[in-house]
Amino acid sequence: MDSKLLQAFSDWFTISTNLLLIIGVVFFIKLPKGKRANIQYWLPFLILTFTVFYENFGAYTNYNYDLKKAVNAYLGNTEYPKFNLWLFNIARRQVGVILYLLLIKTWLPPSKKKYINWMIIVFISMACALQFSGIEPLYYNQPIIFALGANLILIGSGLYFIGMITQDQFLESNPLRLVSFWQMTVIMFTFSLNYISSVALLYLFAVNPVLGSSLQQFSSFMWICTLGVLTVTIASPLIPKVFEKEPFYKSYGP
Amino acid sequence: MEASEDQIYVIIFATIFLGGIMSTFVISMVFIHRQRQAQNRQKMDQIKSEHEKTLLNIENEIQQETLTYIGRELHDNIGQLLSLAKLNFGSIKPEKQSEGKEILSQAIQEVRGLSKQLNLDWVETLSINEFVAQQLARIQNTGFCETSLEADFELLDLPKDQKLVLIRVIQESLNNAIKHASPETIQIRIHESGNVKRILIKDDGRGFDASQDSQGSGMFNLRKRMETIGGQFELSSAIGKGTEITLTLPN
Repeated sequence: MDSKLLQAFSDWFTISTNLLLIIGVVFFIKLPKGKRANIQYWLPFLILTFTVFYENFGAYTNYNYDLKKAVNAYLGNTEYPKFNLWLFNIARRQVGVILYLLLIKTWLPPSKKKYINWMIIVFISMACALQFSGIEPLYYNQPIIFALGANLILIGSGLYFIGMITQDQFLESNPLRLVSFWQMTVIMFTFSLNYISSVALLYLFAVNPVLGSSLQQFSSFMWICTLGVLTVTIASPLIPKVFEKEPFYKSYGP
Repeated sequence: MEASEDQIYVIIFATIFLGGIMSTFVISMVFIHRQRQAQNRQKMDQIKSEHEKTLLNIENEIQQETLTYIGRELHDNIGQLLSLAKLNFGSIKPEKQSEGKEILSQAIQEVRGLSKQLNLDWVETLSINEFVAQQLARIQNTGFCETSLEADFELLDLPKDQKLVLIRVIQESLNNAIKHASPETIQIRIHESGNVKRILIKDDGRGFDASQDSQGSGMFNLRKRMETIGGQFELSSAIGKGTEITLTLPN
């Protein structure tokens, strides 16, 4: 096998994400049919699969320079042919944000779900407007779109926590034994800390590469934590002694 | 210290600060949730103890009512029967002796019937329909007024607490009608509309102005008692037009 290809896929982050996907697939197959049809389990599985897919694709673009260069050229970027930001912009910062907003929506009380619908509409409209107007091209850093996405995720998580302290359905639950609680906490931390790291990253790499690299490692660690919680979510029906039934759980058969 | 070094510190502190704020937020949310849970538990305990207290009061009141009834029965009915039996046994005529025996066995039967009412076991064996029929028959027998019962179904299988409350509320509503309204007739209707079961107690007595809150704690207590079992108490009345009480049963 090509050693460069092996090198591209052999960093701890890619290996960890692939391992989590394998565990996630095993648990998802083990889930009863009714649970597999439940959005509270298939959506985390979809996010996990999608994330591992684009992370692997990202690793592949670092191996296949020609592909990266061709896509950059197609998007109009001939200045930085080594960048693969287009992939992470579209997958993590746009589609990813929408998927996480949908995930937050599944844990919210019915009366608050409409706010998430509006957030998704606003986010898609703004992202399209900023990209098509050329303010934030797809192949370069997109701080406005990422800031918007991170803030919407923060607001969504906030809605969950407000629901947790105001809705009567949560009164019988111990939040520390709810997967939704850990999901919201980790998603909130990941997106806000990632936002800081992505804003400061270009500057830090220029001024203090060691600190820049540490911040990126920390950011990667947070993504692993998020994917870990998503894997635990898929496995949660199989470990009922650890996790409680969600207050806004919808049953889809046995 | 160089400008770039300052900026690096700003980034580090901003990251730590943001992480700290979010941690504080999440911990506060869990803390507030725990507090709310504790408050709710306290509230539930209070409701439960109030419910138990209400039931105990109701049991006492029913027993009090039963004792009054038994006292009246002992004096007016059994006492009379025993006196009559004594008179018959004092006679030397054999037919009077046998009549005395019959009266004595009737008195024994009456005593047996009364003894069954001394504890609240009868509440479990009697249906609400039977209880209402008994109460109306008692009123009718005194000649105070005419009564009628119309039931679309038999109210069976009610939990004991609901039954006790209903019995007491019906008893109290009938007492109120007798004491204050001087009606010609009292009608009770047990009916169902949709999934909602209702008991309608209607009299054609003198009525009162229901808009004025002058009924003391009597009506308030009846309403409160129905609410403790998840039911409803509604009253409508007007001067000269009688009174109508609707008891909506819990689902």
